[in-house]
Amino acid sequence: MLKSPHNPVRTIEDDDITSARILVVDDLESSRRLIGAVLEQAGFRHLDFAEDGPTALERMAHKPDMVVLDIVMPGLDGFQVCQRIRAELSREIPILMQTGMQEDDYRVRAFDAGASDIVSKPIDAGELVSRVRLHLERRRMMSSLQVYRRRMEEDLRVAQAMQQSLLKPAGEIEAIVKPRRAGLSTFYRASNTLGGDLWQVFPVDETRFGLFMVDLSGHGVSAAINAFRVHMLAAGMSDLADQPGAWMEALNRALVDMLPVEQFATGFYGLVDVPGGVMQYAAAASPSPLHYRADGSWTALDASGLLLGCDARAVYPVRQCPLGAGDRVFVYSDALYENFRNPTAALDTPQLADVVGTALTGGADFQSALLQRLFGSADAHVDDDLTWLLLEAGA
Amino acid sequence: MEFRTETADGQLVVTLSEMLTFDDHESFRGVVTAIVDSDAETAVLDLSGLTMIDSAGIGMLLLANDRSAKQGKTLRLRGVQGHVAKVVELSRLEQLIPID
Repeated sequence: MLKSPHNPVRTIEDDDITSARILVVDDLESSRRLIGAVLEQAGFRHLDFAEDGPTALERMAHKPDMVVLDIVMPGLDGFQVCQRIRAELSREIPILMQTGMQEDDYRVRAFDAGASDIVSKPIDAGELVSRVRLHLERRRMMSSLQVYRRRMEEDLRVAQAMQQSLLKPAGEIEAIVKPRRAGLSTFYRASNTLGGDLWQVFPVDETRFGLFMVDLSGHGVSAAINAFRVHMLAAGMSDLADQPGAWMEALNRALVDMLPVEQFATGFYGLVDVPGGVMQYAAAASPSPLHYRADGSWTALDASGLLLGCDARAVYPVRQCPLGAGDRVFVYSDALYENFRNPTAALDTPQLADVVGTALTGGADFQSALLQRLFGSADAHVDDDLTWLLLEAGA
Repeated sequence: MEFRTETADGQLVVTLSEMLTFDDHESFRGVVTAIVDSDAETAVLDLSGLTMIDSAGIGMLLLANDRSAKQGKTLRLRGVQGHVAKVVELSRLEQLIPID
């Protein structure tokens, strides 16, 4: 006997749900009429009917939002119809199968065939309406999540391209460093689409150029936004480009105003003067850059310094790194040697210097060689934003 | 990260262990709450049991320091060793938070 469905308070959301198209598949006309009446009484206005499996598959062309499917039908039965919908038409559409209580294994077979849910026969109007609504609502939520996710992914892709465009391409770098008798190769890979690492290189005068690398704490969107802001800040600091200490102090003061208390940055600024045989630099807690002399020996530069963005009074001393012909300086972010998944695998400075030194002298492509040695493959995913700059002093 | 607190000689001592990283934002909130709720005017973070710290972890220490200072309390660090000592040394953290 048909129980009356609940009499829900109507809302805007209800109107939206009840505009859904529902395909009712049953070989018995009385069953189709019964289910149709229940759904209509619950407010559903777009009902479609099929009296057998082949017709049901045809009616799928009208893109219903949900299917209510009987199992026992001559010819193609409900299990087969369900399997074909799943295999050929839609993995997402909710399919509600009607099973008789006496046929226990039908319930298992229904789910095996791909049913979203089952409803017992004889049909209980309240249960049918509740389940139909539940699945339509879930489907609608999933769709809106998918739309949202696609939009976010698209946004992130655009932002990633914007971030990548901040970094100078090889040709531009060469145009700056080559006339100043240096070479510079760079590498950047964000841990999750967007990152908080930033580097830049720019001419200072006829013989010198400046380069910096900044690593903003955190990952993702907030770190990337801060990286953009640092890029803007740095662009306005070109009058300090020949004074590494003052440059770092100006950046620090700006970051103190900009960053919340638990965020900070590390940084390295080098003023490269190959004809003068020296790189003057200032550093703020940046991992010790490695200086490889032409004879193969190496030194780790002291790059300790107060974290950027914590104390406006911080002072960053100018330090010197001699730069002979053929010398190389490797500046990198901490992702290169830290390993939070396997702390014992983290490299200390001599180990890292050895790995980098080997990659430098290997003759093969430095980038692939280094990534291979450190992460096992040249296109490995990194847990943190990974950046490096490799400076070479020419003759 | 795990932590336990004890009060001795009018000081609150919070002992941290395991790693202090990005994943510990939630649990570190408990550390900050313990400091804020304590009657002690000095809080000591004992880091001798910490094996690693990342930039987010340093950020948490800065946050604890800031919250303490805003309440007129003093935060100190002690037991800095291993990987934590390297990070602290590189970042000159002692200029921001006193270290015993």
